[in-house]
Amino acid sequence: MNVDIQSLGTFNQLAHEGAQQATQSMAQMTGIDASVDVTKITLVDREDVGEALVGQDFVGVQFDFEGVLEGDTVLAFDTDSADTMVDALIPGGSDDEAMARSGVEEVGNIMMSGFIDGWADYLEAAIEHSPPTYIEKSGREVLPETRHPDDHEQVFVFKSEIEWVGESVNFYIYMLPEYEAFAEVMTEHADTEGDAIPIDKLHTFNEMTTSGTQKAADNVEMMTGIPTEAEVSQISFAPITDVPKQIGTDTYVGTVVEFTGVPSGYLLVLFDEVSAINVAEAMMPIEMDGDELTDQHESAIEELGNIMTSGFVDGWANVLQTSVDHSPPRLVHDMGRSIMDPLAAQVGQHQEHAFIIDSRMKTDDIEFEAEIHALPNEQELRRALEDLDVERADETDADVEQIFE
Amino acid sequence: MPDVLIADDSEFMRNLLREILEEDHTIVGEVENGVEAVEVYKEETPDLVMMDIVMPIRDGIEATDEIKSANPDANVIMCTSVGQEEKMKEAVKAGADGYITKPFQKPSVIEAIEDVVPS
Repeated sequence: MNVDIQSLGTFNQLAHEGAQQATQSMAQMTGIDASVDVTKITLVDREDVGEALVGQDFVGVQFDFEGVLEGDTVLAFDTDSADTMVDALIPGGSDDEAMARSGVEEVGNIMMSGFIDGWADYLEAAIEHSPPTYIEKSGREVLPETRHPDDHEQVFVFKSEIEWVGESVNFYIYMLPEYEAFAEVMTEHADTEGDAIPIDKLHTFNEMTTSGTQKAADNVEMMTGIPTEAEVSQISFAPITDVPKQIGTDTYVGTVVEFTGVPSGYLLVLFDEVSAINVAEAMMPIEMDGDELTDQHESAIEELGNIMTSGFVDGWANVLQTSVDHSPPRLVHDMGRSIMDPLAAQVGQHQEHAFIIDSRMKTDDIEFEAEIHALPNEQELRRALEDLDVERADETDADVEQIFE
Repeated sequence: MPDVLIADDSEFMRNLLREILEEDHTIVGEVENGVEAVEVYKEETPDLVMMDIVMPIRDGIEATDEIKSANPDANVIMCTSVGQEEKMKEAVKAGADGYITKPFQKPSVIEAIEDVVPS
């Protein structure tokens, strides 16, 4: 089965417009000004779906839908946002539990009907959806149980983040289509003569990315002595203008490298400031004074970024039997979006949408989290996937002793 | 003690290599790019060059090629984060005598040096 870039862009646009329509419905009912921040399609391991929700409590509604597409969709507000919304509908309504619940259900019903209807109209087919089911859960439990857990290890997920203007609260719309039906729809809309990508190769590439993340995590562990685990690896597809928004507004320290070959693009290794200091000091033989980043910290971060980058991209090169060069690392210390903005602008000269490869790793021993984001050139990634021999997918390591015999 | 030239654009990595090597080796120079590596090699003719690959101005494979062209008996160990088979083959073609991938630990560095410059 194939999917082409144009179709991915169209499906992403559908999800985005659906989320916009849902948001406008809410704004009309409540007077709360909100906008859709990011919409992206992600191919991710089933067990990692909803990882961004961990640590928060949510209320919302869940629907299942069937027809030309089957699956589930969820609208999830964090609990404070839900109270604000219900109070905007009915002043004081959040104090009455039954009223609050009814308000969330009704707003959710209206919002999500608009979301689903857009898909049905585009596909020129009916998509039926169930009445809303009210949910009140924590973290990723807010998402529905998968219907066929053994069918596919990786699933497509549409996720929209909606931001309330002037407030630091977000809510989420997730759409989790059943794999087979969605893949068929994508295949039907694919231009197989043009830029189509076999879906199984996207899966394989995702597995290679997981392997690269684990290698990068192993490298961190070897350099710092801190047991480090690869957490999430996923490949997403979004308009190029949305790419910087996905990194957020927190301040990061890390490295940027440009890689050239097939594919070419940019790769970022980012640490939050506390993690950067912790990991740099774990790499250095002496205890550092103070809690500010020094030149020594930055030099250590630069080298760690370099080594993590290699760990991440070497597997691609070895599986593809090619070489992927990368520039020396450039240290960055700025707001996430500001780091990504010029890179997205550079890539955006040649493409309207982008694949974004995201990975995360963490350790329980000290406060430490690292993110890796790759922004490959779309055309070259497609060429790389065309050349990808799925039978070689696990041959990510090179045998240096054999080569230097 | 063997003379060693360290070529790596990372100050952190140069410090780490110096700490590993200085007990049993004489560090004759530390440089940050391939151009400087060739220049200092020609001035000092050390027994061994520990050569990074990804460096600004000129990369370590080009620098190795130039050093080996000038002196086929030069000893060069690539000391790099790059673990790609094609790059390793390029390093062999340029004349590299050994290849260590970062991150490394002291025993693997000493072992690689022993293979190339036996004490």
